[in-house]
Amino acid sequence: MAQVGLVVVSHSRALAEAAVALAREMAGPEVPIEVAAGLDDGALGTDAVAISAAVTAADGAADGGAGVVVLMDLGSAVLSAETALELLDDEVRERVLLCPAALVEGLVGAAVTAAGGATREQVAAEALAGLAAKQAHLSGPDPLTAPAPAGGGQVTGSFTVGEPHGLHARPAARLVQLAGSLGASLELRNATTGTDWAPATSLSRVATLGAEHGHEVQVRASGPGAAEALRALLTAAGRGWGVETGDAPPQAARPLSQPPVAAGRPVPASPGIGIGPAWSLRPSVLRLPTTPSGDARSEQARLDEAREVCRAEIGRTRSATAAAIGTGEAAVFDAHLLLLDDDDLLTDAAARIQDGAPAAAAWAAAVDRVQAALAALPDPYLKERAADVRAVGDQVLARLLGRDGPTPDLAAASGVVLAPDLTPAQAASMDPDRIVGVVLAGGSPTAHSAILARARGIPAVVGAGPAVLTVDDGTIVALDGETGELVLDPGPDVLATFRARAVELAAAGRRAQERAGSPARTRDGVAVLVGANIGSVADARLAAECGADLAGLVRTEFLFLGRAAAPDVEEQETVYRELAHALGGRRLTLRTLDVGGDKPLPYLPVPGEANPFLGLRGLRLSLAHPGLLADQLLAIVRVAAETPVSLMFPMVSTVAELVQARALLDGAVTRAGRGRPAGLQLGIMVEVPAAALKTAAFAPLVDFLSIGTNDLTQYALAADRGNGSLGGLGDPYDPGVLRLVAAVCAGAGRALVAVCGELAADERAAVLLVGLGVRELSVTPRAVPGVKQAVRGLDLGRSAVTAGRALDADGPDEVRRLLDDRF
Amino acid sequence: MAEGLDVTALGAWVREFARLIADHQDELTRLDAAIGDADHGTNMHRGMSAVVAALDGTPPADPAALLKQVGMTLISKVGGASGPLYGTLFLRMAGAAGTGEMDAATYARALRAGLDGVVARGKAEPGDKTMVDALGPACDALDAGVAADESLAEALRRSAAAARQGRDTTVPMLARKGRASYLGERSIGHQDPGATSTALLLDAAVTALAGGDEG
Repeated sequence: MAQVGLVVVSHSRALAEAAVALAREMAGPEVPIEVAAGLDDGALGTDAVAISAAVTAADGAADGGAGVVVLMDLGSAVLSAETALELLDDEVRERVLLCPAALVEGLVGAAVTAAGGATREQVAAEALAGLAAKQAHLSGPDPLTAPAPAGGGQVTGSFTVGEPHGLHARPAARLVQLAGSLGASLELRNATTGTDWAPATSLSRVATLGAEHGHEVQVRASGPGAAEALRALLTAAGRGWGVETGDAPPQAARPLSQPPVAAGRPVPASPGIGIGPAWSLRPSVLRLPTTPSGDARSEQARLDEAREVCRAEIGRTRSATAAAIGTGEAAVFDAHLLLLDDDDLLTDAAARIQDGAPAAAAWAAAVDRVQAALAALPDPYLKERAADVRAVGDQVLARLLGRDGPTPDLAAASGVVLAPDLTPAQAASMDPDRIVGVVLAGGSPTAHSAILARARGIPAVVGAGPAVLTVDDGTIVALDGETGELVLDPGPDVLATFRARAVELAAAGRRAQERAGSPARTRDGVAVLVGANIGSVADARLAAECGADLAGLVRTEFLFLGRAAAPDVEEQETVYRELAHALGGRRLTLRTLDVGGDKPLPYLPVPGEANPFLGLRGLRLSLAHPGLLADQLLAIVRVAAETPVSLMFPMVSTVAELVQARALLDGAVTRAGRGRPAGLQLGIMVEVPAAALKTAAFAPLVDFLSIGTNDLTQYALAADRGNGSLGGLGDPYDPGVLRLVAAVCAGAGRALVAVCGELAADERAAVLLVGLGVRELSVTPRAVPGVKQAVRGLDLGRSAVTAGRALDADGPDEVRRLLDDRF
Repeated sequence: MAEGLDVTALGAWVREFARLIADHQDELTRLDAAIGDADHGTNMHRGMSAVVAALDGTPPADPAALLKQVGMTLISKVGGASGPLYGTLFLRMAGAAGTGEMDAATYARALRAGLDGVVARGKAEPGDKTMVDALGPACDALDAGVAADESLAEALRRSAAAARQGRDTTVPMLARKGRASYLGERSIGHQDPGATSTALLLDAAVTALAGGDEG
């Protein structure tokens, strides 16, 4: 594959090197990048001779005459780069392209594209596109096409502000949008108060004009089409900017019929770009009773009781959000709690109840009135309060109507699902063919709903705030599950940016896919195995397609569940052989049966337990039924004679358990009668904190240790992940969990340390795990290519430093901040 | 014109330019501070000091070699935009100069080639408030002197005077190139530092090559 070389020209060596480091994070170590920056004596400046040397070096490092793309910062960098061209051999010069992209975004785009083997023209085009994406994202005018107002063809005019609330909010937004769409340069000043000129394309600058009702605003336009632009702007002013004013019906002033707004500051939960029509998960049609079921006093009591239930619900959501995301984000729920006691609402509802309305109808009417009044106000802050009133109102109403929260299923959902939160059951019912994205008002990135969204490859953001619950169905929603960005009703520019990003992600995915079959090494050459977690023959085939180096975890339960009797040795053998075949001979890590009292098998009775997760499960249960385990071991040993097999015992707590299990394995080897298979390796799963801390005692007895971060996290933090009221407490980024991983790596000696929990598939976590000493990551098959790419971007030395700092962090949030700071 | 410019004479010109730059370093920086990034004096001084050091270290054999060495040093050591611009000026002059002594006509052709190089490199046109506004008139005056068969000294004096006049015309101009262009109308009323140093270059030629100071 031909690979283009890159040269970075900058006045500052530090700037150039930092830009290269940034690009390498994205593109990996392979792309040749040379730096020519600063002067010999350390002064800022550019040196044409150094640039020509760098170009020659990059050209030499580039494959097969693919040539060189030069990126420059500003001013003399450009002139020096051009001068440097003159110093090159003719033959080299022909292969050099000076790219006018902005340096940082250009270099990142160029490096990533070059890593994929693009031509130098493609590399330069991608570098240039970096600026377009930023421009579109910021929705500003194109600085390259917006000429300075000085110069010829200037026309002026003026209008009087007719809007009762002045040139604010929506009229101002429309003005700015319109000005941005007219090619000419447009400026405004408030003639009544005598302000300076402000660009009409800047909302904040237009706001500074302080143009109130009755003020005269002067407009001047210059550049191409100045006269037409002026006319269009004045016409729009005369028509009130096509906006209903303050006394318009509340419908017109619903917050989301506004120009494109970013909704809240959501938290990324599942990577990917989702664009589609909104599909809201709200209590479908609420049928309001028309006649009260009791007298006014009992109706009032029902309302008060529903409010109390909601108070408890909101309190739980609040603490969960605070724990998982932050207290700032949780503050909205404080507002919700206040609204439950809002005088205006309660007095109105009480009066309607006194007049004979049933509680639900009285409450609904009061909520509608207050919400509409707030929504009609021009102030965006107050508009948002309208969304809060609606959210709390619906919650109480659902209670009054006997619903236990929003529980409609998602079977019929399509497009982008908007919901307060999803139960695991709801998340599990999502169809990735129809649902292109998930936006949750609350929730946490570590909750089941987020994990399930990731597993299904559905982009998701959480913690987006209650305003998203008022979005009309069918409104186009665009989200980026990597950055947390969320835009409702995006304009064509924003949409184009998201589409471009989706294309980029797809391309990155393809690049990862192309390289999926090769082993993953860090930039400094340390090999990290990336395996797949599988639970069926189909999974095994998928794992092979996705480039998994091995099956790092085969959940053999799939053979045992849903049947009246255990599979016999021959049946197990057949299936294990099929798995090995589907994997094309890659190593098969078979975990022995891992069940417990929560899901008892008919042929494997477990006595009733108060707490099955702390009871007879995993290896404990298998050792209690040695016959069953002996059969499974025999089947495994037989297959291991033909194909590389690793054997792994789940939920080991003590060395004695392992010794006992090994004795059973020795028995199986004897029964098989062909000696211990050479390729058979033995390991344990580390899920119990005590086992993690005793790694050194286990290590001499095993070839590998595989950390199950899901259970290890639950047990370490005493937090059930399925318990919503604990919020994000069971967070694998908790430094306490990371210290247990570090303890396993420290005690492992020559045994390989693997991670096969959810954390291994989190590309951000790779730096921590590899930095701590993990050398195998086993993940859901589709995550294999991405995790391999993540490994390729790591530098072991730097990863170890980051991981070491993470161990000293005061909590998971600080760990995430550490990771963010790396970029 | 009987007089010829050999490598020693050209070396004297370049050293005199370096001396003038050193003397005017603060003035150049002050002018640049008004409309640019306040580094023209420092950058040119660094570059010309390196040029003199290189001449002392490796005395070039002929005019073309000398001009090339000056150009290469400037593009490497100045750091700012004047590096590639002055560097290109000298490199193009080197291309037009031969190995033998240069007469006035050859010198005029070489300086014209340098001007063309600067225009090509900086994409500046007359009136853009750049060094071209001093160098262009200087080349025109030199050509006129050569055409009128003036002595080299005469032609150089005429050329230096034209450069100074050109420098002064930059004051009311609106900058359209380089950092100064960011200022737009606010660049009006300031003398361009590049045109100022170019006038020094032509002044240095008078002092070193014509045997008299018309400063």
